[in-house]
Amino acid sequence: MHQPGRDVRIDVRSLGKSYGSVEALIDVTLNAKAGSVLAVLGHNGAGKSTLVDILATRSAPTSGEATVCGWDVTRFGRHIRRHIGMAGQFVGLDDSLSGRGNLILLARLLGASRKQAKERADELIALFDLTDAATRKVATYSGGMRRRLDLAASVLGRPDVLFLDEPSTGLDPMSRAALWWFIERLAADGTTVLLTTQYLEEADHLASDVVVLGAGRVVARGTPTQLKSSFGSRTATVTFADDTSMRRAIAVLGLAANPTADEARRTVTVPVTGAAGVTTLVRMLDAAGVFATDLTTAEPTLNDVYMTLHEHGWPAS
Amino acid sequence: MAGLMSRHALPARHDPRSYDPEATVTLYLRHNGYQPPQRQGPQWTGTRLSTQVAVLAGRSLRAAFSDYRLVFFGLLQPIVLLLLFSQVFSALGTLPGVAEYQSYLNFLMPATMVNIALATAMSSGVGLLAEVYTGFVGRLRAMPVNLLAVLMARTVSDAVRLAVQLAVAVLAAVYLLDFQPPNAMGTIAAMLLCVVFGWGLSWIFVALATWQHKPEIMHAASFVVMFPLMFSSSAYMPVNSMPGWLQAVSKANPVTYAIDATRALALGKPVGSALAMAVLLIAGAALLGGAISARNFRRTR
Ligand SMILES: Nc1ncnc2c1ncn2[C@@H]1O[C@H](COP(=O)(O)OP(=O)(O)OP(=O)(O)O)[C@@H](O)[C@H]1O
Ligand SMILES: [Mg+2]
Repeated sequence: MHQPGRDVRIDVRSLGKSYGSVEALIDVTLNAKAGSVLAVLGHNGAGKSTLVDILATRSAPTSGEATVCGWDVTRFGRHIRRHIGMAGQFVGLDDSLSGRGNLILLARLLGASRKQAKERADELIALFDLTDAATRKVATYSGGMRRRLDLAASVLGRPDVLFLDEPSTGLDPMSRAALWWFIERLAADGTTVLLTTQYLEEADHLASDVVVLGAGRVVARGTPTQLKSSFGSRTATVTFADDTSMRRAIAVLGLAANPTADEARRTVTVPVTGAAGVTTLVRMLDAAGVFATDLTTAEPTLNDVYMTLHEHGWPAS
Repeated sequence: MAGLMSRHALPARHDPRSYDPEATVTLYLRHNGYQPPQRQGPQWTGTRLSTQVAVLAGRSLRAAFSDYRLVFFGLLQPIVLLLLFSQVFSALGTLPGVAEYQSYLNFLMPATMVNIALATAMSSGVGLLAEVYTGFVGRLRAMPVNLLAVLMARTVSDAVRLAVQLAVAVLAAVYLLDFQPPNAMGTIAAMLLCVVFGWGLSWIFVALATWQHKPEIMHAASFVVMFPLMFSSSAYMPVNSMPGWLQAVSKANPVTYAIDATRALALGKPVGSALAMAVLLIAGAALLGGAISARNFRRTR
């Protein structure tokens, strides 16, 4: 019998889920510790929401096992639901109530007294910048306002594990910054956060671990840094004064690397690896007698990782 | 330089305008005159079923009575029905089986009360479906909330709504239409019976809603159930005046018992076995509907 460590809050082993002939999840294994942020990435239909719904006990797996806070999701859902918060991909709010009314109602259902519920609602309404709309019916809210209220609702009970399915979809940059700040603070306080996202910089910024799903399977996993070093590389971009220099640079660099050129800007970009990468690049240009006006380097991003995984087909499938 | 080596100061991202979240958010919160909340607080992990039902029923009731147009037409509906039926069928007042009640209106009023109960029970199912579609119940599925509480809250709040409707309809019948119940106590007992009847029956429609998820089908099915039940009962005509086969149907129709009991209570006649039968049927409907709903509703796909 597999015995997870004490601080493993989410433990998923060989999880599978099929809807008739559609296999939404196949042999998914992952875990997350207390105070960590796990980002689940993947294309549309990769199985992200299916995974979240199973872990939040809204849906049942068809094979494998999963525990949340040490409880099995199929048998002890009622225990799990006491300790989790969830904001699904589609918001779950009562349109006929005000924003504040929604939060008060949900807090009361969780066990807050009337007074506690009001205080907590006001606290979260201020935090998610809904003060002006607090007493308006949710039916009159904009998409981003609904999303923010839904996120506020997910943390009402101060859960140990928080599931956020594409939390920043539809948020303006300011609200997204506030959300990131809030998630970081929750994690620092020991909350485990599992979030799905299409924004790779979000995963990069927040996640201690990343799992990439492709067609229901785990196709890559690791810390953002690990993923970037195995599936992406640093690049150097050199700018030239004229087209002739640029053409010669492409010819010279093409011998060693795979340069991409931006003719309009007269720039050439090549991957640079190892400690001496940039020096080698400059030497090659110098040896060929090509003069450059500028040189910048860039770190790989999760975007690069994602693109690489996509171009090469999903490795595990 | 060492002071700049914090995580946010590192030029890790390409975008030179990439922000420092801590600074941005603090600025934005200060702009709102907001003090960051305390990090720690009680963790809330759920409540008893009774609390859940009370909280959710309160929510439904507030919604039901918050729109005055909804309240107005809801209350007007039975009065219009009563007015129409009592005028169209007023000639039936002398029929044997009706004559003993002095007027057709007196005969009709208790049936209308049961009719209101039936209509409200039906709306429980339709209302529940509308609710399931909002996603609000989807959120409750991941919360420490017994989903039976959602169903119970629905039936309880609809029963309260029903009580208000019945009271208004009876008052309107007495003051506007010359309904003459012999005593107030009997009428109140009849209203109570109707509330309990409506509540029990609402479980059947709730069960229907948990089994059949399309509102259109719900409407059609409810319609098919409701009309034969009303017209094959003792609601509008005394059973004795019906064709033989319909009499048999009428005697098997649970609504007949509810109407007979209500009529006897409201008009001060001997109740006989109708009341016991009615209560038995209500309990049966509630138990059966409750069991089916409970089984269908939690089932995760
Ligand atoms: N109720 C359902 N019945 C049948 N198939 C389903 C159901 N829910 C999801 N699926 C299928 O399961 C697969 C995974 O869906 P899922 O919603 O988990 O994807 P996702 O990664 O969340 O996608 P997105 O980025 O678009 O939100 C898809 O092929 C989808 O069509
Ligand atoms: Mg999804």
